[in-house]
Amino acid sequence: MALTLRDSLHLVVEPENLDASVEEVFGLMLGERPRRLAAAEDDRTGQDLESVTAVVGFGGVLSGACVFRSSTAVAIRIAAQMTGMHFDDVDDTVQDAIGEVCNMLAGAWKGKVPDLAARCGLSVPAVISGRDYRLHVQSPEFQLAHAYRYQEGIFRVTIICDSFQ
Amino acid sequence: MNEVRALIVDDSSVMRKIVERALRQAGLESLVVHEAGSGTEGLDLLRGQQVDLILSDINMPSMDGLEFLRQIRLQNLAQGTPVVMITTESSEEHVRQAIQAGARGYIRKPFTAEQVKERVLPLVSTKS
Repeated sequence: MALTLRDSLHLVVEPENLDASVEEVFGLMLGERPRRLAAAEDDRTGQDLESVTAVVGFGGVLSGACVFRSSTAVAIRIAAQMTGMHFDDVDDTVQDAIGEVCNMLAGAWKGKVPDLAARCGLSVPAVISGRDYRLHVQSPEFQLAHAYRYQEGIFRVTIICDSFQ
Repeated sequence: MNEVRALIVDDSSVMRKIVERALRQAGLESLVVHEAGSGTEGLDLLRGQQVDLILSDINMPSMDGLEFLRQIRLQNLAQGTPVVMITTESSEEHVRQAIQAGARGYIRKPFTAEQVKERVLPLVSTKS
């Protein structure tokens, strides 16, 4: 009998897979190990509003998205560290860098589950600037939302699954 | 090592720069880099330029990396030039498809300069 993704659900929803993906991407590309914030710690920093958001869609056996969100300052710092360039504001290169970070996070996360790696595709990244929006998904199957300390700032990574086979 | 002419195909300009930096860190100091933001641009470039090495992403708009690879072979462009895929797609199925389409190597993003060195240098050192 053919297995469906539901048979691997325990692996798909494993929170440590997301942490391991963040560690892998930031460790290899930026030489940093961001620290995941505990929920209480994240609540205290709720005023740190995001203004750069990157989204990479999942399609195939799992439909959903990987969303990366950070402040302007954190996005600039990440882009500077990736490229060795200096940025005063969020320009096309910063947006490109944040889109690639999100792309690598999505790829690393789905790569943790063999059934996902082979049968789930990734969209090209979309990057949104601005903070006056809400991310809303009607009745997601599951959602992983983690916040991480990166140098002096914070970024958030969310995996949203709206359906899977 | 002699001058190496590399074509880097990726829709992200940041990633193209990172790949170029990794190639230089791998020891390819006499490197001439041509960049393309899509498979279509890559094919156009190959019609007018000879290169020693091609590094291509897979997930790209308009023409993905696997189709780019197939078109290179179909149009008899860059004959004998090694192609290495650099991509977030890591499944055995993606690797199999890439190798079947003619790729000589596969590097998963995120990557280190050491991985680039291990997988790319043997391909270009045989040409020099």
